[in-house]
Amino acid sequence: MSVFTDTLLLSRLQFGMTTLYHMIWPTLSVGLSLTLVILEALWLRTGDPAWYRHLRFWSRLLLLNFSVGVATGLVMEFQFGTNWEPFTEATGGFFGNILGLEGTLAFMLEAGFLGIMMFGWRKVPRGLHMVSTVLVAFGASLSAFWILVANSWMQTPAGGHFEHGRFVVDNFLGALFNSDMITSTTHMWAACIETTAFVVGGISAWYILRGRQPEFFLRTLKVAVVLALVMTPLQIFLGDAQGLHIYRTQPEKLAAMESHWKTNPPGAGAAFNIIAWPDNAGERNSFEVQVPYLLSLLETRSFTGQVKGLSEFAPDARPPVVIPFYSFRIMVLIGFLLFGLMVWTLVVWLRGGLALSRIRTRRALLRAWMWSLPLGYIAVETGWLAREEGRQPWLIYRVLRTADAVSSLPPWVVGMSLLALFAIYALLTVFFLIYAARMLSKGPDLSLVPPGEGS
Amino acid sequence: MEQLLPAVWFAILGFILLLYTMLDGFDLGVGIVSLLVKDDRERGVLMASLGSIWDANETWLVLFGGIIFGAFPAVYGLVMTALYIPLIGMLIGLIFRAVSFEFREHAKSKKPWGLAFGWGSLLTAVSQGFAFGGLLWGVTITSGKYTGGVFDWLSPFSIITAVAVVGGYVMFGSTYIIMKTQGPVAGFGRRMTGWGAGIAALGGLADTILAVGKYPFLSQKWTAIPGSFLTIVPFVLGLGAFGMMLLAIRRGRETLPFVCALLFAFFGYVALSANYFPIIVPPGLTVYETAAQPLTLRSMLIAVAVALPVLLAYNILQYWIFRGKTTGSLYGGE
Repeated sequence: MSVFTDTLLLSRLQFGMTTLYHMIWPTLSVGLSLTLVILEALWLRTGDPAWYRHLRFWSRLLLLNFSVGVATGLVMEFQFGTNWEPFTEATGGFFGNILGLEGTLAFMLEAGFLGIMMFGWRKVPRGLHMVSTVLVAFGASLSAFWILVANSWMQTPAGGHFEHGRFVVDNFLGALFNSDMITSTTHMWAACIETTAFVVGGISAWYILRGRQPEFFLRTLKVAVVLALVMTPLQIFLGDAQGLHIYRTQPEKLAAMESHWKTNPPGAGAAFNIIAWPDNAGERNSFEVQVPYLLSLLETRSFTGQVKGLSEFAPDARPPVVIPFYSFRIMVLIGFLLFGLMVWTLVVWLRGGLALSRIRTRRALLRAWMWSLPLGYIAVETGWLAREEGRQPWLIYRVLRTADAVSSLPPWVVGMSLLALFAIYALLTVFFLIYAARMLSKGPDLSLVPPGEGS
Repeated sequence: MEQLLPAVWFAILGFILLLYTMLDGFDLGVGIVSLLVKDDRERGVLMASLGSIWDANETWLVLFGGIIFGAFPAVYGLVMTALYIPLIGMLIGLIFRAVSFEFREHAKSKKPWGLAFGWGSLLTAVSQGFAFGGLLWGVTITSGKYTGGVFDWLSPFSIITAVAVVGGYVMFGSTYIIMKTQGPVAGFGRRMTGWGAGIAALGGLADTILAVGKYPFLSQKWTAIPGSFLTIVPFVLGLGAFGMMLLAIRRGRETLPFVCALLFAFFGYVALSANYFPIIVPPGLTVYETAAQPLTLRSMLIAVAVALPVLLAYNILQYWIFRGKTTGSLYGGE
């Protein structure tokens, strides 16, 4: 079995690549569109033109980001059909339905009002403009909601039964509110906002460090700090809830994420692996650094609660271990790092250190914000890797195996499309970074006059 | 009612495809003819005329995909696997078209992204033509799975379809240019319309002859009494719209050619889908065999009945806000 001759592997690589790449863009679109709602509300409330200029400045970034998101999102929708024919046939009755709803109810809203929000400044009254901004943000979040509904249903399918290999819906709401839905939609939504808070804060910190319009960017830094104040602790709580839910509904995924092989006997606690390397054949870890009792405590809230190990499951029903284990740890580490940065900033703020006269002396803090800009993205990507790799070998958990759901295409065709998409994504990334950097180095236009004032 | 649902969904699917073809059709057509303009500044004017609407127009394709996936799950994967190469080509074309607008705004050298807009649009149109032609010419199916080769979509019929789709989009795009721009750019649109319309009409005619030759069932409805109202009548009305469009251009009208082009597409689609109905994947797969279960179709119908008028309303609002001639700059010259 080689990479070049295996359609299943190539299709999985293509899907994984497209998904991980696409996800970068809506993560910021969801969070930044909500940030724009805050900025526009601040402008309408205070009448301060600085908020208007912020709005214009950040909305350019949103549009640039959005265009790459649209371009790559279409590939997402189509590749279900092109590369996973048996999956679409089996699940169309619910999964396809949800994607249809996403397009009809959410994406159309976002794309439709984005034009008015971006280019309608002098064509519509302020009130209608605010409504457009709100609808763009609502559409973006709703879109993420539907996508997470579809994905959570693949983790914990419910609301119907399979008949001749096709899913038949008995209870639409039951399928919609499948048991994973609430935890995963909220966890992802919070991730979008948290990531955006550190993107906005990081960029603002960069300007302040350079002494470019520090007064102007102190405003958005503070907006970012307030967002982080709410989101970073909330996300740790939501992440914990997600972990508990996985323990209850997908025990083999939890065991893979923790590289936990042997179920702890009654009366003994399961240890938490800080770091480990799995030995799949020996059904144990080649090495491990452990904290006793901690895994039981985390998952069962008791020192000796039972946590099932991977050995309990048949070898062909076990997920791979390395990717879920390490990506999960990276995500959690970032969650706590960002929480720590928020606490640090809050302490400085309470001592008056964020005042305009003193902020530039806080160089270490500003640098920390700058360097934390990509962390949210890395957490989102690693979180999804853990979630999707941990569900393997299933595409729909315990119903449809990934290996049985792939379109029969010659490997060379999938290989070619994989290469072409890889090259295009690389090209888009390079140009996005060049143009985003150019836009940021040019800085905001502080001479813009709000519509209806002056000229 | 249960019996009717698949037919209703076939009609909705046709309506969404029609909207997509008309709306993104003119975007893509503007892109294709932008390859022929004198300089990059004129191309910039053409791109600015689409800046606020192209993404909403493309959304109808997202919707089209979502609806086949939901309402005809057995068709979605089957057809997409059969059309793998043209669909990947379409996606690549759409990616370049999508990023070209914003990337061009930020680029120091505008030309490469202007060309990406043009070539991306052309690649999308050609790929859609091959895909559509490949589908209408027939797909090899054995017990519900695609069993043909990766190049089955390639045939004289699909080549003609690809050319006709490019011609049709050029026709839409040029009439849009006449409506939205002025001066030399509008004159350019006037000259291009005839070419596009001619190619589309000839291609459509050649395709009809080939298709009727291969599938005799297509012409059966022409003479039957209820069938002919949906086939021959719209066909004749479509020809009328076509003639009126050419006449309107000669008379120097600015909005009427665009409206006529839309009517032409509308009647063309009605005739085409009525001819094929109830076949959804030629040669023999019908809407009844491939539709989702009634509960799904019914719940989706409620969602669409609520959402579609709202969608159309704010799409119209958007066109209304940005009505009038384009100024050549996305941000209104600030």
